[in-house]
Amino acid sequence: MAHQIMGQKELKEQVQDAGLCTGCGACINLCPYQVFYHDRTIVLNPCDIKAGRCYAFCPRTPVDLQALHAHFFQESDLTPEIGPVKAFFIVRAADAEQRKQAQHGGTVSALMSLALQEGMIDTAIVAENQERFLHAGVAVQQPMEIWERGKSKFIVSPTVAEFNRAARSDAERIGVVATPCQAFALAKMRLKPELSSGDNPIDKLKLVIGLFCGFTLSWAKLLDLLHKKTGLDAITGMDVPPGKDVLEIYTEEGVLVFPMEDVQACIREACRYCIDTTAEYADLSVGSARLSGNWEESRSWNQVIVRTDVGMALMALARNSGTLEFHDVPTGNLEMLKKAAWEKKRTALKNLVEKSGSADDLIYLDARDRLLADLKY
Amino acid sequence: MSKLLEVREGSCHLLMGNEAIARGALEAGINVAAAYPGTPSSEILENLAQVAKVRNLYVEWSTNEKVAMEVAAAASFAGLRSLCVMKQNGVNVASDFMLHLAGSGTRGGMVLVTCDDPGALSSVNEGESRHFARMIEVPLLEPGDFQEAKDMTRWAFELSEELRTLIMLRSVTRMSHASGNISMGKLQDQLRRAEFRYDGFILDPNEGPVLSAPVAYKHGLQQGKIEKARELFEQSPFNTYEGPEKPELLIITSSACTLYSREAIHLLNLGGRVGLLKLGTTWPLPPNLLKKYLTLTGTILIVEEVLPFLEENVKIIAAETAKEIGIKTFYGKNDGTIPMTGELSPDLVVSALSRILEIPYAAIDPAYEKKAQAAAFFKAPQRGLAFCPGCPHRASYWNIRNALTLDDRQGFVCGDIGCYTLDIFPGGANTLKTLHAMGSGTGVASGFGQLSPFGLDKPVMAVCGDSTFFHAAMPALVNAIHHRANITVVILDNSGTAMTGFQSHPGLCINAMGQEAPKVDIAKICAAMGAKVAVCDPFDLPETQKTLNRLMEDEVGVKVLILNQKCGLSPEKKAVKKYDVHVDENLCIGEDCGCNRLCTRIFRCPALLWDKEKEKARVDDVLCAGCGVCTGICPQAAIVKEVA
Ligand SMILES: Cc1cc2nc3c(=O)[nH]c(=O)nc-3n(C[C@H](O)[C@H](O)[C@H](O)COP(=O)(O)OP(=O)(O)OC[C@H]3O[C@@H](n4cnc5c(N)ncnc54)[C@H](O)[C@@H]3O)c2cc1C
Ligand code: SF4
Ligand code: SF4
Repeated sequence: MAHQIMGQKELKEQVQDAGLCTGCGACINLCPYQVFYHDRTIVLNPCDIKAGRCYAFCPRTPVDLQALHAHFFQESDLTPEIGPVKAFFIVRAADAEQRKQAQHGGTVSALMSLALQEGMIDTAIVAENQERFLHAGVAVQQPMEIWERGKSKFIVSPTVAEFNRAARSDAERIGVVATPCQAFALAKMRLKPELSSGDNPIDKLKLVIGLFCGFTLSWAKLLDLLHKKTGLDAITGMDVPPGKDVLEIYTEEGVLVFPMEDVQACIREACRYCIDTTAEYADLSVGSARLSGNWEESRSWNQVIVRTDVGMALMALARNSGTLEFHDVPTGNLEMLKKAAWEKKRTALKNLVEKSGSADDLIYLDARDRLLADLKY
Repeated sequence: MSKLLEVREGSCHLLMGNEAIARGALEAGINVAAAYPGTPSSEILENLAQVAKVRNLYVEWSTNEKVAMEVAAAASFAGLRSLCVMKQNGVNVASDFMLHLAGSGTRGGMVLVTCDDPGALSSVNEGESRHFARMIEVPLLEPGDFQEAKDMTRWAFELSEELRTLIMLRSVTRMSHASGNISMGKLQDQLRRAEFRYDGFILDPNEGPVLSAPVAYKHGLQQGKIEKARELFEQSPFNTYEGPEKPELLIITSSACTLYSREAIHLLNLGGRVGLLKLGTTWPLPPNLLKKYLTLTGTILIVEEVLPFLEENVKIIAAETAKEIGIKTFYGKNDGTIPMTGELSPDLVVSALSRILEIPYAAIDPAYEKKAQAAAFFKAPQRGLAFCPGCPHRASYWNIRNALTLDDRQGFVCGDIGCYTLDIFPGGANTLKTLHAMGSGTGVASGFGQLSPFGLDKPVMAVCGDSTFFHAAMPALVNAIHHRANITVVILDNSGTAMTGFQSHPGLCINAMGQEAPKVDIAKICAAMGAKVAVCDPFDLPETQKTLNRLMEDEVGVKVLILNQKCGLSPEKKAVKKYDVHVDENLCIGEDCGCNRLCTRIFRCPALLWDKEKEKARVDDVLCAGCGVCTGICPQAAIVKEVA
């Protein structure tokens, strides 16, 4: 079923004011009205266009999931928990020096750099840590520039906003590192919805590397959590090591550890309604590896789900060029991942039902969708 | 050469009411004039400033009305003749000093000219200055035409010297800003020398110190002066009667309402039935004169603007003399015959008269009126109140609104009086949420800045103009700083008292008489007071907005942002285009998703027009001031500027 495209007013009511905005940036840089500030999407001025791109591209406006799947993936690849799977790997960047600049195994940075070097793309969009631990997407052309912007940012980066800008510049072939919501927004653009006006240069998008994602944090709430324990500019990174139930914040002076119980309160509301852990709408998706309980060993590896032919081709290039090191996939690894992703989906659906007050109303999702019907919530 | 310097006695000139007042002061041989600009009063001092050199005057734009009155009073204490000028609400500012001045008395002739603005044509209040005369106990004069405006002013100085008190002369917009033929009197050379005597006996009005104490004694003296004025006013040639010996109805009026009343009598052809008592000396009222005219008839209509000042005072006399004059029927404000607010007009007096005397009268043929209204509605272009093309305030408010929106905590702005008040109208950014007196934005913000312990979590901002900063915002700012109010004060410095016609102020390096003057630096003052100070050019949109957001997020103490950009109508900028600006039609996407007419729908500079046929924006070359600010907002970079 096709959903009606509406305008800024409805976007604000249904998404922003409803606490569903992910801060992906899909509605930003299309017009002067939607802008990004800190980690929030703001309506700077009112716009009365009836069917706007902001509404059409937003990952939190109503969507037909089946149509999306049919458009992008082979039915045979689909799994209900983690979307399409063509292949599954445990890998890391071969260069140990470069890995130091990365969150885990540096697979994302290595693959993006490779895509640039091989001419698969001419522009890569990655997230950059700017002042006060606020982030923005930036378009880069050199592998070195990708490595300089490694590591995970647990405050949103409006990465799709930078895609919107770059796609309307000289860039011809663009690759994007995207969280699940960002990949979802890009997928909605690729469906080429019928718009009353405005361009949609989505054909420039040649590669989407997805990041696994559990949640992002609200900047203001993170500030409260840190409570002057460290200056924002001193933060060098963060992670949620598996099994420890804590958030580790790395600073120049050492590691700050916060119990997940406290961190839960800082999670961006929109993330509570997110059904995607593994960036299902990417060409390939990357997360941290789980290797037999040893985190210090695991943390320098990634697990990769390949979803499309483009993803397969890139992985083949990486193997042949020796860009990535490959590790055996321990048995049960994929099942573990599926279980975790399943859990996030169910929680999100539960939260949506709670919010709408009806099991038939999943707000931006369609309760009749076959893919969701399988999940008991 | 200025008409005000005309030396031929009896020669006739067309003068504006304010020019007539200035001429009257010159004929009285004044030495010193001080004022704070405010419509409709400003031209009086401007005209005097122009002839200051030739006539050997000292003329200044003071920082506020109270200071203006103090400066003028000093001249009077030194035996000189002095004038101070202000608009109606300025009298409120000056009133504290005025109260004490009434007690201390004056020496050289001293006159306060106040120009009221019934209908608030260029004010944000409809204040009545006349009540101050009664409350503070000083005589009040109100000219009823332009000749009187001049003659009364001259006489006011003599009266002041005779009574040894300040004389208040009140004009209104239609008296100050309209023009009439005036027969010139003798220009008096002033040969006085300033000499301030203070070592005489404490109660000596000529040789002692100038004090309002001992209070009861001085107050008694002051009341004696009012008694003397009352007697003098019985004989004043400025109180006149025209009409039949036994009128059916007597109009009592003053000021511009004299003209409206006379015209109404003429329009209704009531010259034989209605009498017109025009009063020039309206406080204290001469009781015998009133008794005489009240005796003529049983029906009285009192015509005056805004509050029933004359009405109440006349009714007191009528009550006190009721035994002699009999019971009267009064029409005026209290019974609703004359409106209590707004300006009057001949039409309003006509309708009052026709109702009382039951004369059918239609000012305009109703069919014609309907047609005229329709034509005005459909054919005349809609012009709302808006900032001029090139106005720095449009850019400033664009930044303020964007910063408040980005900040996303529902912040608001406290404002006051200046061109920047226009923010409240549809053409503005609608960020102003309180609007009061000069400097009140900062004062009110200082108060809001204390309310966070009570739960107010919205960021508080204030705006104030450069002239307003000196006028009344400084004490408020000191207050806010000393009490650690968490506020951001934006000083919209457009280098002049722009709204009233670009008068100088202490922040400029020139004074009223065109001489070089030391510039008082606003940024340095604020920094010395202890505020965190930033300075931006409001035309630099990204930088200004960023700075504002940074200041708002800093939650400690008072932050001041000075936005420096000259008024588009300033002498330096007027008719000088910095840029030629036009729209590249190939780039403009108009109503498409991606713009939706940002320039003409939201930014709304009057020079940006929407071409409905072409569906493109256009710059009106005639209206465009060439500031180039709109080039920075177009998402398509379709608005192009070239250095002119
Ligand atoms: C908010 C967030 C939550 C995550 N949650 C999980 C999780 O629950 N489980 C899991 O297995 N993995 C999670 N990840 C992924 C994980 O942290 C690593 O990014 C991933 O393992 C890839 O590691 P790498 O060494 O290859 O990355 P790197 O080589 O360091 O590259 C990371 C890339 O991601 C980009 N990036 C960083 N932050 C963002 C962001 N917020 N938005 C868009 N792009 C960004 C960087 O610019 C860089 O290009 C999360 C990542 C993020 C950003
Ligand atoms: S989720 Fe993304 S597209 Fe939707 S409103 Fe938020 S920033 Fe815009
Ligand atoms: S802002 Fe630019 S694109 Fe939009 S209507 Fe104006 S000139 Fe055209």
